[in-house]
Amino acid sequence: MSGTGADYIIEAKGLSKQFMGFMAVQNVDLKVRRNSVHALIGPNGAGKTTTFNLLTKFLQPSAGQILYNGEDITALKPDVVARKGMVRSFQISAVFPRMSVSDNVRIALQHKLGTSYHFWRREASLNVLSGRVDELLEAVGLLDYRRHNAAELPYGRKRALEIATTLALDPEMLLLDEPTSGLGHEDVDRIAALIGTVAKDRTVLMVEHNLSVVSRLSNTITVLARGQVLAEGAYESVSQDPRVIEAYIGGADV
Amino acid sequence: MQITPQLLFGQLLVGLINGSFYAMMSLGVAIIFGMLRIGNFVHGAQYMLGAFGAWFLLQLPVLFPGLGLPSLNYWWALILVPLGVGALGALMERFLIRKVYNLEHAYGLLLTIGMTMVLEGLFNVRFGAAGQQYGVPDLLQGGFNLGFVFLPTYRLWVIVVALLVCFGTWWLVERTKLGSYLRAATENPDMVRSFGINVPLLLMFTYAFGVGLAGLAGVMAAPIYQVSPQMGQNIIIIIFAVVVIGGMGSIFGAIVSGLALGMIEGLTKVFYPQAASTVIFLIMALVLVLRPAGLFGKETSAHSGTDVVTARSDSILENGRLWLVILGLAGAAAPFLVYPVFAMKVLCLALFASAYNLIFGYVGLLAFGHAAFYGSSAYVTAHAASVWGLPTELSILAGVGMATVLGALFGWLAIRRQGLYFAMITMALAQIVYFFILQSPWTHGEDGIQSVPRGKLLGFIDLNDPLAMYFFVLAVFLLGFAFIYRIVRSPFGQVLKSIRENEPRAISLGYSTDRFKLIAFTLSAMLAGLAGGTKAIVFQIASLTDVFFSTSADVLLMTLVGGVGTLLGPVVGAVIVATMQKELAGLGGWVVVVQGLIFILCVLFLRKGVVGALEDLLSRRAVRRRDAAAADRIAAADRIAAEKR
Repeated sequence: MSGTGADYIIEAKGLSKQFMGFMAVQNVDLKVRRNSVHALIGPNGAGKTTTFNLLTKFLQPSAGQILYNGEDITALKPDVVARKGMVRSFQISAVFPRMSVSDNVRIALQHKLGTSYHFWRREASLNVLSGRVDELLEAVGLLDYRRHNAAELPYGRKRALEIATTLALDPEMLLLDEPTSGLGHEDVDRIAALIGTVAKDRTVLMVEHNLSVVSRLSNTITVLARGQVLAEGAYESVSQDPRVIEAYIGGADV
Repeated sequence: MQITPQLLFGQLLVGLINGSFYAMMSLGVAIIFGMLRIGNFVHGAQYMLGAFGAWFLLQLPVLFPGLGLPSLNYWWALILVPLGVGALGALMERFLIRKVYNLEHAYGLLLTIGMTMVLEGLFNVRFGAAGQQYGVPDLLQGGFNLGFVFLPTYRLWVIVVALLVCFGTWWLVERTKLGSYLRAATENPDMVRSFGINVPLLLMFTYAFGVGLAGLAGVMAAPIYQVSPQMGQNIIIIIFAVVVIGGMGSIFGAIVSGLALGMIEGLTKVFYPQAASTVIFLIMALVLVLRPAGLFGKETSAHSGTDVVTARSDSILENGRLWLVILGLAGAAAPFLVYPVFAMKVLCLALFASAYNLIFGYVGLLAFGHAAFYGSSAYVTAHAASVWGLPTELSILAGVGMATVLGALFGWLAIRRQGLYFAMITMALAQIVYFFILQSPWTHGEDGIQSVPRGKLLGFIDLNDPLAMYFFVLAVFLLGFAFIYRIVRSPFGQVLKSIRENEPRAISLGYSTDRFKLIAFTLSAMLAGLAGGTKAIVFQIASLTDVFFSTSADVLLMTLVGGVGTLLGPVVGAVIVATMQKELAGLGGWVVVVQGLIFILCVLFLRKGVVGALEDLLSRRAVRRRDAAAADRIAAADRIAAEKR
């Protein structure tokens, strides 16, 4: 592990992404402190999701470097990055719709059994995971739904299932893309509380529009606008920054 | 062979002519795919319609004597036929293709395959396989002697017209207002609709235009090639390969690649004639390795979900152990109830379809070249048994080995692309195998490998005894069936399911989804090989049909009719299709037409197939019964409450 690696779990330097001439993300430096909750905010089209896709390697950056635990992961594939302990969620709920709720969680858990390529082995060999599946579902309040197909869940429950699935991997770092978008008040509170619990012994980086959730949970906030870092710091300082206010008021997204 | 300038330039010229047709056809396919997201397999048949249209116009007085119709020449055909074929295209769009816009791409391809079978089948019934002649128009007779090569006027005309049409169309789509509406309509139809533009009409016009181009190509081809019902069959697969090479959604790419590949094909005829019919497919494979998005294609989002229908895994129809026993018993009784040879055919096909279902149904990848695995295994098995004299079981094993290796190779190439592209690529790769087998000396060309000895199983069970042979086939089938069930219901099968449901999510959970797909594809090819090898022993023949495109279409039809992604679907589908082919055998050419119709009807009305629909029915009944029971309980509780009061 290199010098600063101990403090920061992620260090992105000069990250840029160009889509057919359009600079979606431009020269972004981002450091995420270990065991913190770090929020990425900004108006629509600021490049938040693109940054997410770059960090998790779902997109290849046009320029820049990404260090994860001090290791250069810029050239790695997304599944490899996931196996290193950096797991993401998606903006629209990402469940496996026509699989049962418990199978959704089990698919993530079965990873560690190391039998995922074993096409000759019985499915029943996965039953050893049932206890852990139930624990995880219990933790997000979905135990009663375990036999339902994920597609049948209401939206808020789907997001909870997603978090349970992500947690099943016991990731060192979680990247949550708008975890509360499209949720009603009650669901927002529940998911926010869940993130708070999860973050106790992990690093969380999240893109979030709901500023009350951001202020409640996060230690550090990075504001993006037009693909560039506009401001960074604690909620109090960032929310007072005139440039941030300008970007939000000036944009259509208030 | 001596390479003279005459030969070289002669073939280059032929290549340029072919390239002109490739360019015009790929242009239409690229437009239709780019704007409508439909892989227009029927383009080849529409090209054939164009050629026949020209011939009809010329023959009007002969075809309809007594009406006093004039014979309309080439110049009339050049105007009327593209309009007529385009109008027919508009009807096809209005009544068929429009219905599948919102479905998975696979269904558009399947629908147009069905339409192709109907069209080509009908013309085949009426005109037979023999070609009709169509003369070069008087005005374009003769030619120029350029010294190094003789250039017929008509060919020069074709090249000039093709270039004008291609670049004119490119200009229309990329540089005009109409074109910009069109491009916008495909990006965001609702937005364009809100501008007051009639989007359905725009799309219908686009399809008709693309089809009209095929009709025009057909008219221009009539004096050069034979006008025959099959003339579009081979060209459409080449066109698909050209579009893959040119790159997704690139009209310019389609034109340039079409011309260039025609010439490369011509050059190959000069320097290495054996590879002339496969060179385009080989280039496609190379392009996929080096530049998966195609030469002129843009980087596209890497992963798109596939949404084929699936089974209800809790249904009694999905209980593999139960059905293994039932199928075993039914299979044991079958040779005493039906003709054993027919029963063996059904078993081979059922295994083949089940193997195919593994990749299409359970992974959601529309593979379209499984004949390559089935057929190559049949050939290797037949060769091993008759020439090498290997024992039966080792011969089949050799065939299975061949299919597995091919499967791994094809899978490795094809999983770089998804959706419709996956289908086009597997189709093109399978053509390489077909041409290889057609040309190799050991396969005996059109005759195939005949009189393959059945031999003795394990050295002592004589398979010439019909019952012994039958029970061997039954055992192979049950083994394959059980193996597939195990794959689907294994830790590996769970991951496959998650990939089918949501690939990006599976990646984000740390699964190398490409590797899973590759293994699944290879297993599917292996089992298809087992079916093909067994078939070669049963029928004692390996023939070109086994590796031909139509066999890939048959296995797809069986899976679709029976129920994609269901356990029993492929078996039921095999029974239905094989029975139908047997019963309709007396109708000759009509079989293809009927099969095409079934294809179309299944895509439009029975996407879940027979078994899928049955599972739905059972599940709905179960839900109704449960609800009724619940209602009874509530009513009873109410009654008790009322009595208490």
